[in-house]
Amino acid sequence: MNSIIFSAIWGIVMMFSGLFSKSKRSLQTFAVVGLILLLVVNTLELNGDHFFNIDLHNMLYFAPFGLLSNSIAFASTLIFFLLSSTDIFETGHNAAEYFALIFFVLCGISIVTSFNTLLMLFLGIEIISIPLYILTGAAKKDLKSNEASLKYFLMGAFSTGLMLLGIAFLYGATPNGSFMLDDIAVGRTAASPLYMIGLLLLLVSMSFKVSAAPFHFWTPDVYDGAPTVFTSFMATIVKTGVFIGFIRLFGDAFGQMQSRWQLFVAIIIASTLFIGNITAVFQQSVKRMLAYSSIAQAGFMLFALLALNNFAKEGIILYAAAYNLATIGIFAVLGKMKDYSFEGFNGLAKSYPGIALVTTIFLLSLAGIPLTAGFFAKYYMLAAALETGNFLWLVIFAVACAAISVYYYFRIIQAMYFKTGEPQQLKVGIGFQYALFAVAVIVIVLGIFPQWLINELYVIYV
Amino acid sequence: MSITQILFWILSIMAILGALMVVVSKSPVYSVLWLIMVFFAISGHYILLNAQFLAIVNLIVYAGAIMVLFLFVIMLMNLNADTEPQKNKWLKIAGVIAGGALLLVFVGALKNADLKSQIAEVNHGDIGLIHNLGLALFNDYVIPFEISSVLFLSAMVGAVVIGKKE
Repeated sequence: MNSIIFSAIWGIVMMFSGLFSKSKRSLQTFAVVGLILLLVVNTLELNGDHFFNIDLHNMLYFAPFGLLSNSIAFASTLIFFLLSSTDIFETGHNAAEYFALIFFVLCGISIVTSFNTLLMLFLGIEIISIPLYILTGAAKKDLKSNEASLKYFLMGAFSTGLMLLGIAFLYGATPNGSFMLDDIAVGRTAASPLYMIGLLLLLVSMSFKVSAAPFHFWTPDVYDGAPTVFTSFMATIVKTGVFIGFIRLFGDAFGQMQSRWQLFVAIIIASTLFIGNITAVFQQSVKRMLAYSSIAQAGFMLFALLALNNFAKEGIILYAAAYNLATIGIFAVLGKMKDYSFEGFNGLAKSYPGIALVTTIFLLSLAGIPLTAGFFAKYYMLAAALETGNFLWLVIFAVACAAISVYYYFRIIQAMYFKTGEPQQLKVGIGFQYALFAVAVIVIVLGIFPQWLINELYVIYV
Repeated sequence: MSITQILFWILSIMAILGALMVVVSKSPVYSVLWLIMVFFAISGHYILLNAQFLAIVNLIVYAGAIMVLFLFVIMLMNLNADTEPQKNKWLKIAGVIAGGALLLVFVGALKNADLKSQIAEVNHGDIGLIHNLGLALFNDYVIPFEISSVLFLSAMVGAVVIGKKE
């Protein structure tokens, strides 16, 4: 509850800070202070300090899993602000409002990680989505941004409609009519068709929100059209946050009848991995390639949903951390560039050796090369799927897809190191470079000692 | 057949007919007008379920405010039957097949539902009365109610951000 209330309040604070202070520096400081505050109150809640004793009517349930993923989201947003807040100021004149909207999104993420009734899930998803529609259209003069925003809004509203329909069916299928996850989970040994339709519609709409194929068609256009900073936010923090909600929903409400829907998820994973990786190979723009790569990564994260064991829950946290850090880093570099094509990276290693090095580390992590965080993240996902014992074919397929992904990630590395060209001028300060280095160090540390984060999990669980 | 049942059938036919006409109508303005009929029919259903408050809110918000907005947008953009883009024939067929399959699944699910008898609390349902609705909203559902304020606040901030002149 701490983080939900504080993030909402800090959103309002950010909104008004734009009124009193025009200086960019103070706005950024305010946002960073707010995030550190959120991290602190969230950690305190993990230790059992609840600031607010509200009768929640059991509608929210604060488990360590959800709170820990909140921490990942807040920490990633902190890094995102440190790296990219100058780009937020360049997007438009309403920087204070953008910060406010980002804090509202974090409020939504805190709800989605801790919901205990479908009503709260719906509210959380909407609190995440509506600010995102606006952030996507933040570059008002840019037609692509306008188009992306409208597209995202229409498709998102449609998928929310499907979700509400599914929730209504589930409400009808529970004996006395209830939105509670416990009521939906218990006593459904012989699932009625009504119940299965509700489940299916929820699966479809949540797959849409995490951009899993075949519900991914909005992703490339929206990620490509949105201002690069907000693409970075959408593709990482929001996506992993919604994933936690996805896993909580299917784990808590539909976990007992896993065998009934597991095959659907397996098919979704296979098509997501296939479409994401194959289409990414043919992209000419790095930003669009990253959009497809984020679809492919969603395929890997869906393994946690498929398996739903302890391995999966640990793995998804590690995956969220690894994926967030690496992608935020790449997008931060990309945001400083003028030319988003692969050629734009030509010869970058000569003029900016440091930035080229950290970009390489991030790309290696995304590709899942050992000694980076991405390797163990992928390893945990596949191990979780293997532990279920039924999906060897899918694991083999995923490994093949990961091999394909190496091709398009290495295209950037190749362009930076082995191609000569007129390198672009990047407007990067020394602080930016230090922050980027710190993120790269975290990626490597997580890659060598993933146990550190996992142990944290055990300490909390046991 | 009681009067309630007769009313139910009339309202249902009105709603389904209106919904079909929304899709079939060539002119967007006609579509909107048919949509208003759908909302009136659904409000009638709410009254049959003894949910007067929902019925009135449905009329005020949907048939009143939102439909007027729709009409404004359509008229400002000067949309009419001529400007409607020609859709691919195969796309239409694919749409009909997909929608029909979804309908089939829904009908199948509802047909087998074991709670047909208790689906509608005709005449004696009292949750839709404003007194009970208020009690439920501010007791059991006060948390979602309060949290939805964040949703509306962010929507308002967004409207200002998008609408403000730069």
